[in-house]
Amino acid sequence: MTDFKKNDPRFGSLSHSEDERLFEMIKRGASRRDVLKYFMASGATLAASGALFSSATDAIAATPKSGGKLIMAADQHGPNDTLDPALYTSAADYFRGRMFYGSLTRLTPSLGYEPELAEEIISNADATEWTFKIRQGVEFHNGKTLTADDVIYSMNRHLGADSVSKAASLVSMIDRWEKVNDYEVKAILSSPNADLPIALGTFHFKIIQDGVTDFSTAIGTGPYKVKEFAAGVRAVGVPFENYWGEGGYLDELEHYGIGDPTSRLNAFLAGDVDAMVNLPPKAIEQVQSADGKEIWALKSGAYVNITPRLDMEQSGNMHLWKAMQYLQDRQRLVKGVMKGQGSLGNDHPINAAYFDHCPDIPQRELDPDKAKFHWDKSGIGSTPVPVVAAEVAPGAVEQCLFMQREGQKIGANFDVKKVTTDGYWGAVWLKEPICVAAWNMRPTANLMMTLAFEGSAAWNETRWNNENFNQLLVDVRGETDPDARKQKYCDLQAMIQEENGMSLPMHRNYVDAAASHVKGRTEVPLNNFGGAEAPVTLWRDS
Amino acid sequence: MLSLIIRRLGIGIISVLAVSVIIFVGTMILPGDAEQIRLCQEATEANIAAMRERLGLDKSIVEQYLIWLGNFVRGDLGVSLASDAPIIELIADRYHNTVYVAVLTALIGVPISLALGILAAMFPGSLYDRILTFVSVSLVAAPEFFTATLLVLLFVFALGIGNAVVVGSTEGKDIFGLIAHFALPIATLSFVIASQLIRMSRAAVLNVMSSPYIEMAILKGVPRRRIIMRHALLNAIGPIVNVVALNLAYLVTGVIVVEVYFGYPGLATLIVQAVQTRDFILIQGLGMIFCMTYVVLMLIADVAALMSNPRLRHPK
Repeated sequence: MTDFKKNDPRFGSLSHSEDERLFEMIKRGASRRDVLKYFMASGATLAASGALFSSATDAIAATPKSGGKLIMAADQHGPNDTLDPALYTSAADYFRGRMFYGSLTRLTPSLGYEPELAEEIISNADATEWTFKIRQGVEFHNGKTLTADDVIYSMNRHLGADSVSKAASLVSMIDRWEKVNDYEVKAILSSPNADLPIALGTFHFKIIQDGVTDFSTAIGTGPYKVKEFAAGVRAVGVPFENYWGEGGYLDELEHYGIGDPTSRLNAFLAGDVDAMVNLPPKAIEQVQSADGKEIWALKSGAYVNITPRLDMEQSGNMHLWKAMQYLQDRQRLVKGVMKGQGSLGNDHPINAAYFDHCPDIPQRELDPDKAKFHWDKSGIGSTPVPVVAAEVAPGAVEQCLFMQREGQKIGANFDVKKVTTDGYWGAVWLKEPICVAAWNMRPTANLMMTLAFEGSAAWNETRWNNENFNQLLVDVRGETDPDARKQKYCDLQAMIQEENGMSLPMHRNYVDAAASHVKGRTEVPLNNFGGAEAPVTLWRDS
Repeated sequence: MLSLIIRRLGIGIISVLAVSVIIFVGTMILPGDAEQIRLCQEATEANIAAMRERLGLDKSIVEQYLIWLGNFVRGDLGVSLASDAPIIELIADRYHNTVYVAVLTALIGVPISLALGILAAMFPGSLYDRILTFVSVSLVAAPEFFTATLLVLLFVFALGIGNAVVVGSTEGKDIFGLIAHFALPIATLSFVIASQLIRMSRAAVLNVMSSPYIEMAILKGVPRRRIIMRHALLNAIGPIVNVVALNLAYLVTGVIVVEVYFGYPGLATLIVQAVQTRDFILIQGLGMIFCMTYVVLMLIADVAALMSNPRLRHPK
């Protein structure tokens, strides 16, 4: 019988005994009417009981079966694959990490969090001190019980100037971790961060055992333990018999990369692998029409953009980048390039996939008149404007070509140079006056803006530096009043849209594909395969 | 004879040394920086400097080369920049895939191709010869990925047999299990080497057939099949062995497209990934291994040619 957790949003309003009762009724073949009658009698409203019925039947259809094997294909993998959570760099690492390890919190599809290895999470009033009560009776794959020491050891690896962690910036406001007792730890922050538990639910903050330095295998608390791992070859997990929670239903979960997109698609269509990441947009229709194959897409905040450097002669011309923004054919990019698997960009990074998205900012559209107005004001005339592009993500090159074409109609001469993706991030990005970039979604709006829009950020692409923006970005982290928080985030997004200078024409979905027997798919919009959260819940339907 | 072999060996070692210089200098001037890629754009001046010191990049290039060569001779290939894993370990995880495919292709593809080529030489100008020539010329022109795509389309999607990628581990499989496991890569590579082998073996035999002593045999009334098997073939072995050796070297070093296409981890995909991550220590190690494979196979071919043809042992 499925064990309903208190925080399960589907059944949140019912007590546990009522859950059980409802389930029993439906299982015995009760009709919708019977269920309605039962709950009406017990005082529920008609609408509420109707909703309950449908969510409970969904849950029964989705009651996981145990057994079977699934093969999940990532894209790039190689000798830098690792089992050290602090060093993860790729989607393949993230997914593998979820197979073998657990973390304090677990992210939800709406990018909130729910408790995982931390049973309870409590913050002080200004979000500068966070207490994590650690779940008792959790076992590592080698039989050791999880305690505060393991958590503190795992967390300390992300702190300090000599940390090797790829995610150190997400927790840089943590001053220190303190052990309260064997099952309680405390994070003391140097500045407020209301989103800390969300950051700790991301890929790198997996809990390892106290003192571990050898990562040739993974001793975690995850639902699967390592059967086989070789970097760039494959990872195979088998169920961990003493896993503390629900999940880990498969007899075997295999995961490896197939770098070539055509080969990956062939392997998927031929049934050699059960699911694949990054379906090429061109293949979307092919998969939709294939028997037993489904698209596994997630609306996300990932985006492609064109970034002018404001500190350079030509690209710093305000009327130039304003014209570029009005020359973006956003609709066509989403429909033509992404086959609808994307959403319109509005020249700021926080789209509706984020919790703190501001819906009040008007959508910027292709507008040749406004573009022409700004172009004429810029005084550039027919002088070529170099734009360097590489195929760093679907649409990255097309956005420039579409802009070039629209530009010709108003007399603008964009000189689009296409270069190879190999070495692009080191040699071109952040260096050329105007170039393209591709970004993954971050768990919170604040993180995204801190990474790439705060004035002193290393990845500040346009070198835009607005004191008010920088200050507000810090202030909002300690803001606990929901209305004030919303207003502040709206202001931040509007400032980027007006002043930052980049054109952001399109957000792209994560578009993966899975065979229809692949069940228990997750929908956390942070990465492929449901935010790499799927390993826990995946199961195979016959 | 022995002195000749020793001389060939000497030439082989000199070529390896020459190639080692090229590999070393080539990887040194490769643009991009492993640390930058490894740190995901988070590279700072300080940790790049620290890494340069750790790798000895602050020494002169001649010094670096000698240290690297010395380590290589002692069997120390160094540590991967991308993962800190010893390169020997990375190679150990993968070399067997490449070797299996190369050996199985050689076992299957070489005898069939040679037999087809010699058969064509027996009946030059016949319909069989013309069809074979046409097919092999077409195959020479078809790149591996094209052949591979056609095979996948035919077997996997039209006939529903085999796998579009090579999946799973080879552990515990016997030779037939391995052939089934690698069926499509072996088939693709067999087509690639067959075209050249068929044409070369046919040409080599026909070339000998036009020499005066064969004319003598024909005039004596020896049957054609007997002439080829007893008299012509022995003299054609030299050039044929050379072509076979070249193709075997290709099977180890040149299967990049096939490995990437069928998505199985071998040495060739490893070097692709090494280039992508700017892991120049791994590139150097693999480059040397490929080069030595080549030299050893060429050496074997030379010795075989010497043994089959006494004239080569006494150069004018």
